[in-house]
Amino acid sequence: MESRSLVNFSGHQYLRQRLVLSILTGKHVRIDKIRSEDKDPGLRDYEVSLLRLLEKVTNGSVIEISVTGTAVLLKPGVVSGGPITHDCPLSRSIGYFLEPLIMIAPFSKKPFQLTLRGITTDDNDLSVDLIRTVTLPHLQLFGISDGLELRIKRRGAPPEGGGEVQFLCPIVKEVKTLNFVDPGKIKRIRGIAHAVRVNPQFSNRMIDASRSVLNRFIPDIYLYSDVYKGDESGKSPGYALSLLAESTTSAIHCSEAASTPGENPEDIALLATRALLSEIRHGGCVDRKHQSLVLLMMVLGSEDIGQCRMGEPSVRTIQFLRDIKIFFGSVFNITPADPTDSSNTELLYSCLGTGYVNVNRSLA
Amino acid sequence: METQTHKPHRPAQSGSKADKKGKGKQKTGFNEKAFAPKSGRRADRQARRNVERDEARLHVPLVNRTPDDEPPPVIIAIVGPPGVGKTTLLKSLVRRYAKQTLSEAKGPITVVAGKKRRLTFIECYSDLNSMIDIGKVADLVLLMLDGSFGFEMETFEFLNILQAHGFPKVIGILTHLDLIKKQATLRATKKLLKRRFWNEIYQGAKLFYLSGVLNGRYPDTEILNLSRFISVMKFRPLIFRNTHPYLLADRIEDLTSREEIRTSKGRCDRTVTLYGYLRGTNLRQSTKVHIPGVGDMTIKAVTNLGDPCPLPDADSEKRRKLSEKKKLLVHAPMSDVGGVMYDKDAVWINVPGNFTRGATDVPHGEGERMVIDLQDVDETLEETVARSNIRLFGSSSNPLTIDTRHHDGVVSYSDDDDEEEEGEGEDASEGDSEFEEGEDDFSEDEQANEGSGKDDEQARTNPSNTGRHTLRTVVRSTPGFSSKEKEGGEVAFADSDSELGLSDDEGRGRAGEIMYADDEKQISSDDKEEFDEDDEDDVPAWKIGLAAKASAAFEDLNRRKRRKDWVAMIYSSSLGPEQIVNGANATGVKPDEIDDDFFRVNSSSAANQDDLDMTKEVLSPGALREWEDEGVLDALRTLFITGDHGDGEADQETNVLKNPEGGDFVDLEARTAQPAPTEFEGLDAGTRALVEGYRPGTYVRIELASVPCEFIEHFDPRYPIIVGGLLAAEERMGYLQVRIKRHRWFARTLKTNDPLIFSLGWRRFQSVPIYSLDDHSIRMRMLKYTPEHMHCYASFYGPVALPNTGFCAFNALSGETAAFRVSATGVVLDIDRSTKIVKKLKLTGVPFKIFKNTAFIRDMFTSALEVAKFEGASIRTVSGIRGQVKKALNKPEGAFRATFEDKVLMSDIIFLRAWYSIQPRKFYNPVTSLLLSDKSSWCGMRLTGQIRRDEGLKTPLAVNSTYKPIERPARRFNALKVPKKLQAALPYASKPKLMKPQSKQTYMQKRAVVLEPEEKKAIALLQQIRALRKDQVARRREKQQERKEAHRKKVQKDEAKDAEKEKEKKKVYMRAAGMKSKREADIEEGRSRKRRKT
Repeated sequence: MESRSLVNFSGHQYLRQRLVLSILTGKHVRIDKIRSEDKDPGLRDYEVSLLRLLEKVTNGSVIEISVTGTAVLLKPGVVSGGPITHDCPLSRSIGYFLEPLIMIAPFSKKPFQLTLRGITTDDNDLSVDLIRTVTLPHLQLFGISDGLELRIKRRGAPPEGGGEVQFLCPIVKEVKTLNFVDPGKIKRIRGIAHAVRVNPQFSNRMIDASRSVLNRFIPDIYLYSDVYKGDESGKSPGYALSLLAESTTSAIHCSEAASTPGENPEDIALLATRALLSEIRHGGCVDRKHQSLVLLMMVLGSEDIGQCRMGEPSVRTIQFLRDIKIFFGSVFNITPADPTDSSNTELLYSCLGTGYVNVNRSLA
Repeated sequence: METQTHKPHRPAQSGSKADKKGKGKQKTGFNEKAFAPKSGRRADRQARRNVERDEARLHVPLVNRTPDDEPPPVIIAIVGPPGVGKTTLLKSLVRRYAKQTLSEAKGPITVVAGKKRRLTFIECYSDLNSMIDIGKVADLVLLMLDGSFGFEMETFEFLNILQAHGFPKVIGILTHLDLIKKQATLRATKKLLKRRFWNEIYQGAKLFYLSGVLNGRYPDTEILNLSRFISVMKFRPLIFRNTHPYLLADRIEDLTSREEIRTSKGRCDRTVTLYGYLRGTNLRQSTKVHIPGVGDMTIKAVTNLGDPCPLPDADSEKRRKLSEKKKLLVHAPMSDVGGVMYDKDAVWINVPGNFTRGATDVPHGEGERMVIDLQDVDETLEETVARSNIRLFGSSSNPLTIDTRHHDGVVSYSDDDDEEEEGEGEDASEGDSEFEEGEDDFSEDEQANEGSGKDDEQARTNPSNTGRHTLRTVVRSTPGFSSKEKEGGEVAFADSDSELGLSDDEGRGRAGEIMYADDEKQISSDDKEEFDEDDEDDVPAWKIGLAAKASAAFEDLNRRKRRKDWVAMIYSSSLGPEQIVNGANATGVKPDEIDDDFFRVNSSSAANQDDLDMTKEVLSPGALREWEDEGVLDALRTLFITGDHGDGEADQETNVLKNPEGGDFVDLEARTAQPAPTEFEGLDAGTRALVEGYRPGTYVRIELASVPCEFIEHFDPRYPIIVGGLLAAEERMGYLQVRIKRHRWFARTLKTNDPLIFSLGWRRFQSVPIYSLDDHSIRMRMLKYTPEHMHCYASFYGPVALPNTGFCAFNALSGETAAFRVSATGVVLDIDRSTKIVKKLKLTGVPFKIFKNTAFIRDMFTSALEVAKFEGASIRTVSGIRGQVKKALNKPEGAFRATFEDKVLMSDIIFLRAWYSIQPRKFYNPVTSLLLSDKSSWCGMRLTGQIRRDEGLKTPLAVNSTYKPIERPARRFNALKVPKKLQAALPYASKPKLMKPQSKQTYMQKRAVVLEPEEKKAIALLQQIRALRKDQVARRREKQQERKEAHRKKVQKDEAKDAEKEKEKKKVYMRAAGMKSKREADIEEGRSRKRRKT
């Protein structure tokens, strides 16, 4: 009984998904050789911060970090949820911390009321806008909807941050099986252009630039200009544009681009817009950035066959599928979505759900 | 004599009576007015009751995971107290279905009962462990009751176990009814038992009556009736079984090498295979399993076997002869069917006294056929091996030669030393079959690779003996196997072969050859190896002709598989994710680096960022520049609803657009329009098992490693072996909070920290619970004992079970006690890694100095540090004056200053009420009953009292615990003294009014009384009258006494007479009763003799 399966990994990559899978399955995980060859070996501050955060949201977790910081052992406890506040380091944005927690949150004991402070938008991770407008609707596909909310209290641009979001997530007993094979046609495009501590005109400039490309496709385009002022606008100047395209079957594709020093808003807007177009061209019912989330929820679904049509897996997704096999023993059947059309690269991912039940949910 | 004629009755032709009889009201038999509600309120109440009753009948719909086309056999458990006729019923039922009489019915027995129904019968030995395990898997319980005795404790215990683990269907069966001679008694007994049975199960539960035993079986007609009831029985899915894969093992085999057992003197851990039909949900190879009575195991391998007891299909029905001689299919490896019995390490063949080979008209049993087949062999294994040219590698020039005979695996026959002359032949045939199997494997692999649906003809020569050819696992050496892939399971995935092939030169050459054939393919060598996993590892001579065919097939295959085979690349290649996405040869090249210098800065930073774990991909303006081209932009138009689309579905979607308000609803409809598939079809068996696991209804072999040797050594087929699959969460340990209620029939109360045996999920284990109750929703307060007639909470350490799982608990499992053994039942509420149970702790102290509202308290704490910890805590006196701990004092260690809302007295006791949190002990002790030689003698942790009793120790007597008479010195209170000065100042009403008793006599007391003469006379007269009256009464009483005496004598006389009569009567009755009881004893003896016989 006690010789519970310990899962071993090497390398610092894919740390988040492995920690998440470990917490969901309860399997102990040991990750070693974390940047052991690097000139600055061991865990980075944001990774340690993530581990701290995971310790906060769980009860009874044991996290052991080796002296050099190049190995981590996680003995996961019970996801407890409840009101939690966490200050994210400025090296990564809030998205880095929120993404794994979104995977865990529906399976906690008490509904999540998580407050995160730090950078709200940057180039590496999903911005809070995308999480609110794209990631959370993806969870709704699985029946996690009532009370699911992300409130953006303050925005914080890099490098100083100062943003704050509140993530509210209900708990579920089990997630629904997904059957999402019709990508539909894009019916509307929405976007949020925000600018903090810069000229509010910047967001309008971004909107105009983006519209110049998108207007040809569809008339139903609303790009909101979201300007935060004063205390709510964080400590650093910055602006970004996040776009999403929704199809007739509610498939959402998204993209975004954040400001970098020396770039004008029009370039940023074009970058985001073109990224959205390539995302749309990539096809499928699920955006590439959310493949892992959707695949995980499919595995956690009831013991029926779930299927979803997506584009080709990204690098992260491939590793995620492998990790899922290690933790859950679940294997996806991946077949061409349209076997007759050889130019179509879309794939149909299907798997038998594991019938995952939220054991943490209390009846008392 | 003339017979008297009576006047016939003439019914009334008119009047009220004629009206009553003639009219149709009574004919219909239902007078709707009679049941009509008299008032509106009543009507309302009636309607509400009806609705409630209907609602109570409803259940949450539950998806039935059992496949409809080929469901696993229904498990029918035969349960009852010893001697009630379980084995007789089992044999009768098996005879009904299989037309065979079993001489020994042990273990599960599977028979075919209909087109879509197979039944597995299992007899439950009346031991509590078996009853618990059977209760968790049985779909239908035949609950046997001794009609001549009535209900026994086991029956009620079993019903309670069933209730805790989801109630399967129950049919009651009353036996021994022939022992009740009198018809009236029989009727009364039936009625009584039926009523009790209905109370236990539900009103109207089916109860069968079986009369006597004929030829060691119950009457055929009664069994036929019972079997009809069984055949129409419908089953509701039970939640727990619908979420867990499980298997009732009908055969067990020890695969450990004999040598290892010999060297370790049988004490080594064993490798065991268990066979059975899968039930519940799909079983995955990664699932951990629990075998109740043994423990948690990891599955080493699962193999899908041919169904040993297949459902009849059109083909088999055609072949079947209708003659009664043809025995029907029965699968009971643990019993003696057809002369073959599978034991843990041997196969026993019972051959009747004589049989002739030539006599084909006489049907042979399975065992006989085996022996006859063995005699058919005309060459030995040695000869066969010598003839075959197995080459180790494709390049080896010489075939393998064998000098010495060697057996790998377990040849189960070889134990049998009686049949020495047959030994040679046996080995030969064994070797043969083994050989064929190898061949089989190869061809299967090959077929899988080619993707052709060609079927191999030589699959099984002996279909009736399906399980046997898998006695040994063919362990192929896999040098190229990475450890990770080994973990992945033993489903023969092609990559191992290809890697194997690469390890030798020949194979590589061949791979190159194939690469040539499809040079236009972009995904290069590594990738291709996924497809061309082929037969290049040790190609035997007999396969060489296939090479050309195979390569032709590959070309075909590759042409078809233009796209990447994602499943193979992701799950069974050693390529990194980047290599898969970018193609294997584009390893280090970043698309950015091709761009011009302007973007160099960015790309170098991107290379740096690549290291990061990030969700978004780096946006490279260079790669996105293609969107500046109008053509590219326009090409995307088709993906928008506004774009033009050639196909018909476009219209449908524009329709969708027309209704933007109802958009969501339409979307939903569109998504659900195409239903999800219910199973993975078109996949080869290996991939399918990998993707969806093994489906319920299939007959599988599960191999388990490191099983305790006692499991094999003390194996007894009478005890069921259940392999229960565990969910991911159930492998973990934690604190469980459960709602528990002591069973009202359990005689004792349950005490906190006394060990209790739980049956929860698949598991049976002992743990130490702490009982608690919610105290005003503020805290969970510990209880010393479970409350009466009430639920309480219990927290204990143990394996996690899903919330809402029912359980039952026992204090002991042994059958020695006559009392009811189910001590509690309940349901799991919560799982956590810590508990929040507190118990009350009162610290007391006494004041040693009192100021106005301040007092110094001592004897509560022992040090200033302790005081510091409790600063600000609220305290109280017994009389209810509240206060607060202020600060520690210097002088007496542990004393402190406290303030109160009023002045306290020196005599007051001050106390501090605190809550001390306690954790249940981390004690978990699985009930390993199947590992014992005597299965019912499992003994877990004992109570201190039991240990003392067993060891003969005396209870130590602490001096402080003895009861002594309590001495309470009488408290003397000083009189209240009001100073004179104050007294004087007080108003009169408040002045203390202290008075001395009167010392002088009053006038009334001291006056003298003298009578007048008339008065004297009157008094004298009154005295005389009284004296006369007294005398009269005395005389009257005397007379009455005399009368009474006479009457008493008379009565005594009568009583004596009556007693005499009574005595005579009793004598007669007792004589009759004695004879009757003697008769009954004789009958009883006869019955017990009969029982022993069965």
